[in-house]
Amino acid sequence: MAGPIEQQIHRDPALFYWILLPITVVMILTGILRHYLSTLLQTTPKKQALLKMREQRHLMRARNMIINHAQISKAAFNKRKEWFADKVKEGTLLESGPDGKAKGKPNPLSDPAMMDGMMGMMKGQMVMMVPQSLIMGWINAFFSGYVIMKLPFPLTPQFKQMLQAGVGTRDLDVRWVSSLSWYFLTLFGLQPVYNFILGSNNAASQVAQQMQMQQQGNPMAGAEDMEKIFAAEVENLEVVEHWYVLDGVEDRLLAKFASSI
Amino acid sequence: MAPIFLTPPTDPHTALSISAQANTFLSAQKTLWSSLPYPLSLFLNTESQEKWTSYENLFLALLRTGDHDSAYTCLEALTTRFGKTNDHILALQGLYQEATAKNKEELEEVMKAYDEVLQEDRTIFSVRKRRAALLRSVGKPEEAIADLTVLLDASPTDGEAWAELSDLYLEVGALEQAVYCLEEVLLVTPHAWNMHARLGEVLYMSAIKMEGGEQTKTLSESMRRFCRSIELCDGYLRGYYGLRLTTSKLLEMLRDGKKGQVATSDPVTGDLAPPSVATVKKLNQLATAKLGEIVRRGTAGEKGWDGYSEAELKAAKALIDSDTQKIER
Repeated sequence: MAGPIEQQIHRDPALFYWILLPITVVMILTGILRHYLSTLLQTTPKKQALLKMREQRHLMRARNMIINHAQISKAAFNKRKEWFADKVKEGTLLESGPDGKAKGKPNPLSDPAMMDGMMGMMKGQMVMMVPQSLIMGWINAFFSGYVIMKLPFPLTPQFKQMLQAGVGTRDLDVRWVSSLSWYFLTLFGLQPVYNFILGSNNAASQVAQQMQMQQQGNPMAGAEDMEKIFAAEVENLEVVEHWYVLDGVEDRLLAKFASSI
Repeated sequence: MAPIFLTPPTDPHTALSISAQANTFLSAQKTLWSSLPYPLSLFLNTESQEKWTSYENLFLALLRTGDHDSAYTCLEALTTRFGKTNDHILALQGLYQEATAKNKEELEEVMKAYDEVLQEDRTIFSVRKRRAALLRSVGKPEEAIADLTVLLDASPTDGEAWAELSDLYLEVGALEQAVYCLEEVLLVTPHAWNMHARLGEVLYMSAIKMEGGEQTKTLSESMRRFCRSIELCDGYLRGYYGLRLTTSKLLEMLRDGKKGQVATSDPVTGDLAPPSVATVKKLNQLATAKLGEIVRRGTAGEKGWDGYSEAELKAAKALIDSDTQKIER
C-alpha cells in the first residue's frame, strides 16, 4: 500500500493553550455577550394605534367572511357584503378617515413608526458587526499564520481554502487547520453550544440573525395604499359563489348515523 | 406542575378543586432558591409559560371560591413579574377590586378607575371588556351593549366579544341582533359546535314567537344548526337536546297540515326548503335515541361518558320523560 506520505509537523503544545483555547473561549463569550446585548437593546414593540388596528381588523373580518362564508345564510352574507362595500366607498374604515382617501401612499421615511423599526434593525446589525470586526482584527493581528491543529480525518483539496486561510503554503495537507480558519469555524459552528448555554431562543448566533433579517424583508416596503386593498377585498367578496353549510346537513347527519340506529 | 392549573376555572367544580390545591402550589413556588438576591437570581431560570398561566388560573379560582387573601398573593406575583401597566394585569387588578367590593359605591369606584384607564389609552381591550362585564353584572345591559359595540367597531374579529354581545342582546330581548352576533362568531370560528348549537337555540327562541310559514322556516333553520353542531361533535348533549326539541315542534306543525307554504327552496334569497316529514321523523328518533344513551351512560358515569354536566343530564332526562308521559296519556 503506497499511500501519500503523511506530513508530520511538530507543533509546540503551547499553541494549543495559547491560541486554540483562547479563540474558542473568546468566541463563546462574545456569543453570550451578543445575546445579552441584543436583549438589552431590544425596543419593546410599540402598540398599534387604535385606528390602524381598526383598519387591519376590518380587513381581516372581510377576509374571514370570504373564507367562512358557508357558515351563514345567503341573506346574512349579502347583508354583510353590502355593509362592507358601503363603508369602503365612504372610506370610514381607513385609518385616515374619509378625508384621507385622496392622499395616497405616504412616505415611509416620514412615518415615525417606520423609523423605529429601522432603528431596531440598525441596532441589531451594530451588535453583530462590531464584535465580529473587532475579533477578526484581534485574531489577524496576533494569531495569523499559525497552524494550530490537525483534523483526525482526510479531506479533499477543495477544503484548503476553508481550513487554511492565512497560511500561504500550497503543499500543506488539507487536514491542517490555521488559526484564522478556526475562527471562522467557531463563528458558524457554535450554535449548539449557545443553545446549551442560553436556551434555544437565543440571539447569539449571527447566522440565525441574518436569516431572520432576510425573512423580515425590507422595512421600506411596509406602507401600502390601504384604499386599494380594501377595494380589492370588496371585489373578492363580490365574486364569492355562496354555498351554505346547512344545505342538506340533515341528510348528511342521517347518513352518518345510519349504521348506528 | 399539575395540568389542572392550566385550564381556566369555568365551572364551580374545577374552581373548587384548583383552589383546594392553592397552598401546595404557592408554597412549592417559594423554594429556598427563588429568594436569592437580584444578580444571582438570574442564574435560576424558573420562567415558563405554564407558570404564569397557572398563577392566573389559580387567581381566578381563588376569587371564585372567596379566598381573597391568597388571590391577592397571586395577583402580586403577577404584578411584580409583568408590571403595573400591563393590559392584562390591569384587567386582573380590576377583577380583584370588583370581587372584593362590598357595596355599590365601591363598584362605582372601580368603574371610575376603568374610565380613567380608558381615557388615557383607548386601545386597552381587556379593560374595556371588564368594564362591559361590570356594567352587565350591575344590571345595565344597555350600557354594556353600547360599550361592546364601540369595542367591536374597533376590533370586529373578536369572537369572544361578539358572543358576549349576543348574550346581552338576548338579555334585552333583541333576538335578531343576537342572531347577527352569533353569525359573526361563526365567521371567526367556523367549527365551534357549541356556537352552532347556541345559534340554533336563539333561532328556536325567535321561532316560538313567530307564526305560519315564517315559523317553519326559522324552525328548520334552527334544526339544521343543531344538525351541524352534532355533525361537528357527535357527543354534544345540547345539540341533541335542541334537535329533539325542534324536530318535535316541526313534526307537530307539519302534521297540522300547513304544508305547501314554502315548499321549494328560494334561489334568490338562498332560503332552504323545509325538510320532509320523513327526515324530521328520523332525526327526531335519532336525537331521542342518542339522548337516551347519553343520559343512561352519563348518569352511570361510564368511562368516556363522564364529561357531561349534571344539570344538563337532568334536563335531558326530563325532556325524554315528559314525552313518554304524553304518549302514555
